[in-house]
Amino acid sequence: MRIVIIGNGVAGMEAALAVREREPSWEISLISEESDHFFSRTALMWVFSGQMSHRDIEPLERDAYARLGLRRVRARATGIDAAKRLVLMAGGLEPVPYDRLLIASGSRPRSGPWTGTDARGVGYFVTLQDLAWYESEVHGGSSRAGGPPRPDAHLPASAADSPYGFREVAAERRGRLAQRPAVIGGGLIGIEAVEVAVTAGLRPRFFIREEWFWPIALDPRESQWIADRMGHHGVDVHLEHEVEMLEADSDGNVAAVRTNEGRYEADCVVIAIGVVPNTSWLAGSAIELDERGGIVVDESLTTSAADVFAAGDCASVRWFDGSQRPEQLWYTARDQGRVAGRRLLGDSPRYERGAWYNSAKLMDIEYTTAGLVNWNLDGEQSWFFEEHGSVRSTTRVVVQQDRVVGFNMLGRRWDHSVLIGWIEEQRSLAWVLTHLNDAAFDTEFVPPLRIPGA
Amino acid sequence: MDQQGQNGLLTTYREGWRNRSILGLTISLLLVSFYIVLYWEHKVQEQLGVAPFTAFSEAVGLRNRWYLYGFLYSVAMIGGAVYYLRRHGNSRYNRFRITVNVAIQIALGFTLPFIMPLFGGDELYFSYFWPLKYDYLYPQTLADVPLYFALYTVVGSLLAAPVLAVLYGKRWYCSWVCGCGGLANTFGDPWRHLTSKSTKSWRFEHLSIHLVLLIAIATTFLIGLDWLIGSDHPTFHRIISGDDWKDWSIKSFYGFAVGSILAGVIGTGLYPVFGPRVWCRNFCPMAAVLGWVQKVGRYRIKVKPGMCISCGNCSTYCEMGIDVRSYAQADQSFTRASCVGCGMCAHMCPRGVLKLENSWDRPEDKQRQRLSVVDF
Ligand SMILES: Cc1cc2nc3c(=O)[nH]c(=O)nc-3n(C[C@H](O)[C@H](O)[C@H](O)COP(=O)(O)OP(=O)(O)OC[C@H]3O[C@@H](n4cnc5c(N)ncnc54)[C@H](O)[C@@H]3O)c2cc1C
Ligand code: SF4
Ligand code: SF4
Repeated sequence: MRIVIIGNGVAGMEAALAVREREPSWEISLISEESDHFFSRTALMWVFSGQMSHRDIEPLERDAYARLGLRRVRARATGIDAAKRLVLMAGGLEPVPYDRLLIASGSRPRSGPWTGTDARGVGYFVTLQDLAWYESEVHGGSSRAGGPPRPDAHLPASAADSPYGFREVAAERRGRLAQRPAVIGGGLIGIEAVEVAVTAGLRPRFFIREEWFWPIALDPRESQWIADRMGHHGVDVHLEHEVEMLEADSDGNVAAVRTNEGRYEADCVVIAIGVVPNTSWLAGSAIELDERGGIVVDESLTTSAADVFAAGDCASVRWFDGSQRPEQLWYTARDQGRVAGRRLLGDSPRYERGAWYNSAKLMDIEYTTAGLVNWNLDGEQSWFFEEHGSVRSTTRVVVQQDRVVGFNMLGRRWDHSVLIGWIEEQRSLAWVLTHLNDAAFDTEFVPPLRIPGA
Repeated sequence: MDQQGQNGLLTTYREGWRNRSILGLTISLLLVSFYIVLYWEHKVQEQLGVAPFTAFSEAVGLRNRWYLYGFLYSVAMIGGAVYYLRRHGNSRYNRFRITVNVAIQIALGFTLPFIMPLFGGDELYFSYFWPLKYDYLYPQTLADVPLYFALYTVVGSLLAAPVLAVLYGKRWYCSWVCGCGGLANTFGDPWRHLTSKSTKSWRFEHLSIHLVLLIAIATTFLIGLDWLIGSDHPTFHRIISGDDWKDWSIKSFYGFAVGSILAGVIGTGLYPVFGPRVWCRNFCPMAAVLGWVQKVGRYRIKVKPGMCISCGNCSTYCEMGIDVRSYAQADQSFTRASCVGCGMCAHMCPRGVLKLENSWDRPEDKQRQRLSVVDF
């Protein structure tokens, strides 16, 4: 049996491990344009700051491929011939034949819809190559942690529209490192790009279109706290700024960001306005895509083509609310990869998406969410508590018809699995408030949250 | 303000002296030289005619070079604690642990042993137990020290230490009390990311730490036997505990190989090469015993299911080389024998996935999952 997996990310790797665990002799090939080794995309920011090395963000030891007999193809796939069961390859490489195929090609950054985004010094923060570019602009190269593995390995095969191509560096051309970077887009990748610039001793500008930072997840009070922390660390947060264009100097290096509010000098611009399924290379193949570009799959992660499955950021799956769209999260990619692995083995498991939860760290504030928060439910109400004392935190409990449906927590650690349990048990607000500390996950010796009157 | 977790990003790999650079290796060389001169000062004296540490300690009134060493040790711990707390002191666990550990070193590791002889007493260390302080269970030692201290040592080593480890994990000792652990967590903190996480290093650790434990127990046993029958068997006595260095008796060999080479020269001198817990992880017999006990006790690291993003901060900053991430990715709460409970994995985790706890109530431990890294 020939198993081919396009993508060496978490979805692809989890599937490969699941297959190998049960079928020691099947031929498994992993195609990846981006890197030789499976790494954690979530951890790019720490490599940038120097908190971790490239090796540190690789979950497996480097001999894992040899040890587990996983064949690697480091090149770009350009399409799929579903009738002949072939993966077409760039750079004149032989097509790769498959019996069962998994597409786990992840996301690519959404490109800026403005003029000037092709100036030197404009980039993203999603791939290893983006990391190398951004490090070069700000630090003049990678830390002792070393550059991305084999930066040259795939270049001949890279197409112009690949998210994994290396980018020219404005700092090199200019002969001076970036001093005034700007980040466009107030989401999670944006705030990470801002924070690493702060760690490098710079004063980045942060352009956010909305009224407050990250409105899909935070309310204004919560967001204000994060904005205060950013300000404290020297970030210039520009709210309600709609970017209109990027300006370049006569040499082609980016020089300024123009918004509806004015012109702001910038010598390095990171666009972080979201990601889209990395599927443009599938255009014209028999694989059905949705209007966002996600690969449409059923609940067993099967695509419109026989024996072709999709998992991870590129797959458009059924959500708990019934909608069909991609889930761009690490743990969903991991879980989908495991299900896809069983599909490749011939089982028929179902991918079942439970309640929504997530966590993040916004500058130095930890964030946990569970259930339906900021969904604008009919008749929803929020119970909000701000703790000021030796610990600072905010607690927001969303209630609908006296049933708790969501939690949004900043500054403390919570066990989301306990919170989700309460949502499923349809607990009342009063009950939840008296039991809240049963879900606490704070480190030892941290005084428990005390809610007056609860 | 108490915050959860790491405060701001670290720049570890951008600081040359903290990595295996020329600077880092020079620091290591200096530390190794320091230990060699300290332990084998008589050789230096034979060659150069001076005994630098002895001369200096007598000049400043520290009696002998071991008190000077104890003094420098305390100073290094205080300096390291300041360094550590500036980075990680926003968390209470870190703050309490390091403060207690430094206080114990100053009080029990230096001041008390220094003062006791002034009042006609012995130089006694209340913060060390057998088998780390290997000679404290030798019958001769027990016969020589005051009765209360003999009782303290026997009860402490054989009963209190393991019982506390059942209740709180080995961390009560390795990360709160022990001077070796204390130095590693303060002075050694800049190099904690250098501890190897490879499977190879794990295999080596298994072999080496149990070997040293075996040798420690055998040595203690033989010395006990010698105490009983040695006077009737002079050759046996010479082999076991002839006190002359040139004799290479079992007793002096253990002191040389384990006490000086493994704990001192390698254990501390190589901080900037292999990370700060070389001794604790690979050689300390006390850690081996407490590790076993910890496995059956209450202590564990609890993993929040499905929240880990596999970033690797926990594994990178684990000074014992435990690949914490592989457990977290597998949603698997765990207790590893080598874990000293320093809490840094939980502290560094940007998603709050990990929590150190003491608890008997842990039903989910039974449904053990596949660990992609460990189980193949
Ligand atoms: C900066 C950043 C921070 C993030 N932080 C978080 C977080 O905190 N929490 C969270 O839940 N999620 C986070 N995410 C999202 C998370 O990283 C993704 O959801 C996850 O990595 C998706 O995994 P995947 O396996 O689907 O795809 P990817 O990891 O993107 O892997 C894609 C693979 O496909 C290969 N590939 C793609 N196209 C081709 C082609 N044409 N030919 C050959 N190979 C190809 C690539 O080489 C790569 O190996 C973050 C993402 C970014 C960028
Ligand atoms: S597993 Fe965590 S607590 Fe244990 S030694 Fe490693 S970092 Fe410290
Ligand atoms: S447990 Fe935390 S620190 Fe460790 S890999 Fe997972 S998210 Fe990162």
